[in-house]
Amino acid sequence: MRKFLLALSFVAPLVLGACGGGGGGSIGPPPPPPPVQVIATPGPPNVESFTLGPGPAELVQPAVNTAYLSIQVCVPGTTQCQTIDNIEVDSGSSGLRLLSSTLTQITLPGAFQQPGGLQLAECLPFADGSSFGPLAKADLKLPVSGKEALNITVQVIGDPTYAVPSDCTGKMENTVAAFGANGVLGVGPFLQDCGLGCEQNVIPGTYYTCPTPTTCADASVVTAQQLWNPVNVFASDNNGSIVEVPSVASAGASNVSGSLVFGIGTQTNNSLGSATVLAIDDNTGFFSADFNGTIGLNAALDSGSNAYFVDDSSIMTCPTNANFYCPPSTVNLSATLHGAGGGNTVTASFSIVNADDAFNANQSATAVPGLGGPLNALPGMSVLIQFDLGMPYFFGRNVYTAIENQTASGVLGPYVAY
Amino acid sequence: MRLIKYLVLSAALAALPALPVLASLGGDLSSVQADRAHMKGALRVSAAATSASTGAAFTVHEISTAYGMTVREYARSDGKVFAVTWAGPANPDLRQVLGSYYEQFVQAAEAAPPNHRHLVIRQSGLVVENHGRLRAMGGRAWAPALLPANFATDQIK
Repeated sequence: MRKFLLALSFVAPLVLGACGGGGGGSIGPPPPPPPVQVIATPGPPNVESFTLGPGPAELVQPAVNTAYLSIQVCVPGTTQCQTIDNIEVDSGSSGLRLLSSTLTQITLPGAFQQPGGLQLAECLPFADGSSFGPLAKADLKLPVSGKEALNITVQVIGDPTYAVPSDCTGKMENTVAAFGANGVLGVGPFLQDCGLGCEQNVIPGTYYTCPTPTTCADASVVTAQQLWNPVNVFASDNNGSIVEVPSVASAGASNVSGSLVFGIGTQTNNSLGSATVLAIDDNTGFFSADFNGTIGLNAALDSGSNAYFVDDSSIMTCPTNANFYCPPSTVNLSATLHGAGGGNTVTASFSIVNADDAFNANQSATAVPGLGGPLNALPGMSVLIQFDLGMPYFFGRNVYTAIENQTASGVLGPYVAY
Repeated sequence: MRLIKYLVLSAALAALPALPVLASLGGDLSSVQADRAHMKGALRVSAAATSASTGAAFTVHEISTAYGMTVREYARSDGKVFAVTWAGPANPDLRQVLGSYYEQFVQAAEAAPPNHRHLVIRQSGLVVENHGRLRAMGGRAWAPALLPANFATDQIK
């Protein structure tokens, strides 16, 4: 089947030894450079610093295209605090989660369901497994900006006194090495991590109540008692955030520093400016993309994704890793993005490199532009992600995520913008 | 040789303590009702499908639940489930859905570089793809050795 890319002035068949069918338009003009970027200076009142670095020392392989920052966690209402580094910055999820093994200096009090008083726990689903642990209460304090989210519910992953329930399945990611970080700060578009689905239903493999640590049972939890987006708990600058990563040279780089700015349209350093707003559907969490001959793909901009995950069968996957693309040479691609509900339209241009070549050329790089891989999105399951612009798309762009039901620069969230 | 491999995997599963013998992938149609009960879901059988291009016959049994999880089990004409797909707000019970292939899946995920959002495993005996995040997870799996003759895997959706 001949496939045509939108927004290109010509179509050329790809000549690849291993590929029949011929894709159109992968040999296109290189993407235009993004507009001039201003990265906010870290400091009070609202700018935290992060680094695209290798992650914690326990990782078997250094991380790639993952933003990490340091946080301070305290027993609520006290000065019993601990600084924890290598917390992932994730604009695709909501809520703060910590690996139990990192809490060496403090013990956090449990979070209990009301009414009833049962200890709460959660199984967090990932594509490659699950993370399980009890919920606790904590004060979150961000050391550079000074922002505080007080008495929030957090997930403590891998608490050894808790037995993993049998319906929390897949590879267990309850250690720092398996999880890939010391924790994650979810600053996504939703107010809570699960939302009404987990309040109105018992969804197996999500939330639990635990009469004892070894008898956790599936449970529904009202949204007020779920993990909450910590940004929304700040006293100010609490309607969203901006992930600001500088451009990265095509050869890759190590330890790239960026800024996490809190609030949209609340300070002189966080106005929307000329960014284009892409409304997010409040039910699905997606905006829309037209790409490679398919219109209306469920799309996301997600700093918690480390590559472009898009479907183009004309691009070869890597011979020893089906998770990434390895075209013989860099392919220039283009998609049309639409805000949900008939919102703005913008063209997104991006390039996908040969992942093996990129890793081999710069083995210590922790920021690698152009990484891409297949989604193999299921056409029969329309609720799922189908077009995922991950961290490489953030390079050289300030990417805004506005939280649902919050007005940010005069526009009601949820939305992303860049 | 393929049959022996399947029997060995089944025996390994049966030896695990305290697990009900639920099997989707690699199981047979009698397990579909067990899966439906385990998920507290409703079962809908699609009209028996025949691959238009190759004539391979298969049926799709779809289990859907009130909380938004959908699991589809693809069965051959002899009743063997050769593929499964899933979509929902979280992962399904992958022990149940992958049946005797679950341990192989876990080992493959442990060997792969960590990726919270996207996983693709392609082994000669098992293919698993899983993508997403809490609120929207979905994927599919199949056993290459169990596919009907001339079956195009893009029909696993």
